[in-house]
Amino acid sequence: MIFDSYEAYRAANFTPKVCILGSGPAGTTIARKLGAAGVPVVMLEAGAREFGDESQDFYRGTTVGDFYFDLDITRLRFMGGSSNHWAGWCRVLDKQDFEPKTWVPDTGWPIRRTDIEPYLPEVRDILDLPAFRPDMPISDDIRWVQLIKSPAVRFAEKFGDELDKARNIAVVLNTCATELAGDGRRVTGARLWSNGQDAGSFSADYFIVCTGGLENSRLLLWSNQRSNGGVVPNATALGRYWMEHPTFQGGNAILADYAEFEVDAVNEAFFSPTAAAMERLQIMNFGIRLIETPYPGVKNLIADLACTAPNMAEWMSSKLSQRLRCAAQLYVAWEQAPLASNQIELSKTDVDRAGVPRIELHWKKSEMERRTLLEGLRLFGTTLIEKNLGRVRIADWISNGQDYPTNDETAGHHHMGGTRMGTDVTKSVVDANCKVHGMDNLYVGGSSVFCTSGQCNPTTTITALACRLGDHLSKVVTA
Amino acid sequence: MSFFIRKMSRRALVQALIALPALSLFRKLPDADASHADRSLADPNEIVEVNGWILKRSDLA
Repeated sequence: MIFDSYEAYRAANFTPKVCILGSGPAGTTIARKLGAAGVPVVMLEAGAREFGDESQDFYRGTTVGDFYFDLDITRLRFMGGSSNHWAGWCRVLDKQDFEPKTWVPDTGWPIRRTDIEPYLPEVRDILDLPAFRPDMPISDDIRWVQLIKSPAVRFAEKFGDELDKARNIAVVLNTCATELAGDGRRVTGARLWSNGQDAGSFSADYFIVCTGGLENSRLLLWSNQRSNGGVVPNATALGRYWMEHPTFQGGNAILADYAEFEVDAVNEAFFSPTAAAMERLQIMNFGIRLIETPYPGVKNLIADLACTAPNMAEWMSSKLSQRLRCAAQLYVAWEQAPLASNQIELSKTDVDRAGVPRIELHWKKSEMERRTLLEGLRLFGTTLIEKNLGRVRIADWISNGQDYPTNDETAGHHHMGGTRMGTDVTKSVVDANCKVHGMDNLYVGGSSVFCTSGQCNPTTTITALACRLGDHLSKVVTA
Repeated sequence: MSFFIRKMSRRALVQALIALPALSLFRKLPDADASHADRSLADPNEIVEVNGWILKRSDLA
């Protein structure tokens, strides 16, 4: 059932056991899992069926530190959430992403990749994915990683009819929780806002916060402040360890045979370090994306090489005459070291229309990441030489130690951390089952529970974790 | 020093002064040889970074 307002929902006299906040990939997946298990669920979606400026305005905020996107353009506030603008690249976090990195503090998850692997067949169905493919090592240091492409499933489009017909799932549009109330053990209720006005209080046995990698922290920070710590009793890490995937053009490569790595419809290929290489160089995970360079760019690149290595340039020139596609731009996306100082705070001066403080995001890239970028390109360049596959040129701004450019990709619009998973209550917010530490009936879904970010797009892992949480809650609620 | 110079013929003194700059050349000779030897012994597969390019030393030929 889908309702366009809280008023309409109330008139239907539906009694939910579980309330899910947010209808993005995490919220929708958990709702479908619970619904399939016979658990009555209400899913509140702050926005409408389509994009709306008024709704989107609730996402405005500020960033302190490194350059970042405007916070109201980096996510979407309507049915289906940010699945409405994702590109569809899919990959589960690597096995080593779940393991602690002894050279980086606060890394390691309380679960392992094997804990989510049983859900991957379900994830494939949900995201309309082809089969996952194993990585292919090209040296002891570098793996050719196999990202697969979803048709970029829009969750509202794909599951809208199913949700509308479901008798034990109620989707309430234009309705959000502005705050949760809690007594330090349980969430006792929620304050709702619907269609531009206060809609009173609401209660359910269980609450699952799935409002996104920025909003989850915001809602919990505000709720906790309003209830004097009654919603997140151990709040030291709340809002902290926020992460993105910084993404910049790190250089270029001339390749002996570009087609050797041609793996997808848009002629891109991806490479990552092996676990051994990361440990040896004491760096984070990263992904290098090869994007075909247009012909004039190839000529310029070879001309540049000719100044340094004429014979090599001549060889490359001969390759160019044989095939026009022999060079690539190298885009590097990397894993950020989890830092408590990268955090979401509540603005002290600015509130949204419902009176909730807007986000002040504190985000800065660290020296460890700068080293990951440089050493990663060196590793890739060395591998191309060893395998006689080509040569790499590192971008001048990296070689010269200059600032990050502000006209580049910047980041992946991947919002992770803030309510991270863990066993230490001073460094995490939820446990291995995504339940808020110390609370009996409050759970968190989505990438805000990520402890570390790995190098790949998060939607696949978000969906797998949501399947796992849905299964877990089905058992808890029906016990 | 003045005693030593007084004992030297004028011709010998001039020859000594002419020879002085050449001494430094002799001093540098072993360095120059070593540098040449380094180049010839350098590993052609060594990875080097030049102007941002990651190359094999042999690429620089």
